[in-house]
Amino acid sequence: MNWQSWLIGIFRSMGYGTPLLIATLGEIYSERSGVLNLGVEGVIAFGAFVGFAITFQTSNPWLGLMSAGLAGGLISLIHAFLSITLRANQVISGLALTMIGTGLAGLFGRGWEGTPLPFLARRILLTQNNFIFFTLILALLLWFFLFKTRVGISIRATGENPAAADASGINVWRIRYWCVFVGGVLAGIAGGYVSIIYRPAWTEGTTGGMGWLVIALTIFSFWNPIWAILGAYFFSAIFHLSFRLQAWIAPELLKSSPYILTIITLFFIGILKLKIKKAPAALTQPYERGE
Amino acid sequence: MKNKTLFLVMALLCAILMVASVATKTVEAEEKTLKALKAGFIYVGPPGDYGWTHAHDEARKICETFFPWLKTIYVESVPEGQAGSVIDRLIKEEGCQVIFTTSFGFMDETLEAAKKYPEKIFAHCSGFERAPNMATFMADFYQVYYLNGLIAGALTKTGKIGYIGAYPIPEVKRHKNAFDIGVREVNPTAEVHVRWINAWFDPDAAAAATESLIAEGCDVFAFTEDSPAVVQTAAKYGFPSFGHYSPMYKFAPDYVVSGQIVHWEVFYLDFLAKVYAGLYTNQNLENVDYWLLLREGAVEVGAEPGMVINPIYEEALKAVTVDDSLLGKISVYDLCLKRLKQMSDPSMVFDPFEGPIYDRNSLLVVPEGTRLSVSELTAIEWAVEGIVGPWPGEPGVE
Repeated sequence: MNWQSWLIGIFRSMGYGTPLLIATLGEIYSERSGVLNLGVEGVIAFGAFVGFAITFQTSNPWLGLMSAGLAGGLISLIHAFLSITLRANQVISGLALTMIGTGLAGLFGRGWEGTPLPFLARRILLTQNNFIFFTLILALLLWFFLFKTRVGISIRATGENPAAADASGINVWRIRYWCVFVGGVLAGIAGGYVSIIYRPAWTEGTTGGMGWLVIALTIFSFWNPIWAILGAYFFSAIFHLSFRLQAWIAPELLKSSPYILTIITLFFIGILKLKIKKAPAALTQPYERGE
Repeated sequence: MKNKTLFLVMALLCAILMVASVATKTVEAEEKTLKALKAGFIYVGPPGDYGWTHAHDEARKICETFFPWLKTIYVESVPEGQAGSVIDRLIKEEGCQVIFTTSFGFMDETLEAAKKYPEKIFAHCSGFERAPNMATFMADFYQVYYLNGLIAGALTKTGKIGYIGAYPIPEVKRHKNAFDIGVREVNPTAEVHVRWINAWFDPDAAAAATESLIAEGCDVFAFTEDSPAVVQTAAKYGFPSFGHYSPMYKFAPDYVVSGQIVHWEVFYLDFLAKVYAGLYTNQNLENVDYWLLLREGAVEVGAEPGMVINPIYEEALKAVTVDDSLLGKISVYDLCLKRLKQMSDPSMVFDPFEGPIYDRNSLLVVPEGTRLSVSELTAIEWAVEGIVGPWPGEPGVE
């Protein structure tokens, strides 16, 4: 073993970091507007299935990815309707979305398992390495949009203080609906990336667990797209290392390390009273005018 | 009133969810004959996993088309510890006469149910508890892994072969050992590098483990995990691999050399036919244990059914020769086919676990001139020479 092999290994692990980053960017937008979406796990699974099925039928991976995004966005509207319009508890509605998404993907996915994508579908441009590049650009754009544009300010205002935002003429409901929708689109694309590009196959539960990593990553990256880049590739490197270091460190410990790291980060922020972004103030709070 | 609407929406969502996650399905037999038999299958995972449960479900479908008198019903994704109530339902509400439970973790509950319903017939997969009305069955891959090992030993250029394992339990350890014995027979200095993912199904972990083994210099891959993730990851970097459980040739036609394929229908067809004919009753199953290997046809070596070795690799395997004490100078290609023939023979003239075998701490684990019995095979904890990497539960090491 030499040091180059470790670097190469960590670089290769970035293929796994890409879907984490895409979905985390979506969750950041959703949470920045004040809506916690615990349904990402289900949205990713649903997107993965739809993306796979459409690519299989049309042999067009671009169409597959777009359908995955659209499907993810549409299914997330269930959560938007429940938590924004009906003002339901966001935690419950999000968890329900996770179960609906994974359940529907499993149900419709029957009979698709064990069928590889036609080779036609694997085209130039759609490679793992290119996607690292696309995703980095996407993260930078989303950062710019969130922090440097008017709409970005409106989104953040909605998440911090919806009443004040409303008073200043921002349409809180519209902002939240759009953010949940965009979050769903990105989670759906993350799922599609897994089933079309990263591991072109469908099996029930193929994206299992990714959504929970995304939730942890959103906190770990302080709701900031730039930090999310570091976080996602850091998480994927740890995931990779957990197999390299297996002879010396218990794999269970390494596997849970992303969650442990998130807790440690929160702990130190609390203890040291660091002036760093805490969760959006109105996160998980439904908004009702005139309350 | 807002809360009421909300409650209704939630209730509706729960209903959708229940239908989606615990889908049970009854398929009516086409013809009505004088006597009908209804069999219930209890699965630990979803049939959509393309591994263990998928293979059992394929066999169930074959049985149903084969026997016009057979009706089947299955319940999927049953957590270990909840099989008892599912069995109750299958017997009382669905009227099943035969119950198959397909996970080791269902063993105690199956035994309990067998006592509770003495007039029904039970068969439990991969366990060791039996009763007058409860049989056991298992199709094992160790011979197939050995054959795959022969091929892997000839194909490696770096002398390092990667193996991604599910859980460090005797079943998986037996397969790794058999694989390593095959590798070392062809390539006595080669190493089999091992990684565990601690799951039967976790494509992300399997892919990450493969990448870390590639970074370590491994260039041929075998595994125990219920998805094509290892095959696809290895193929991405141009490395050959062996499919596991279901045929995986089509996922990487240039890189899947061979693999392990199961045919559970060999057991189910035989067992159900004997129950139907009255040979197996609720009185005589105490000693009925199906241990199915190559010669029974319940397992197969191949990239896909009928393709023992991917033709792309034929030339490379014919170019490598070994000196065998009995067979003389022989190419690995011919050796593999010869061993397959020997193990498929009713008298099984060859077995990979034939002494002398030393473990990697130089302890004699199989004395010269002996073979391991089934109960010894199912209790293997040691690792043979050539296996590199973590090995939880290794005897004599703490």
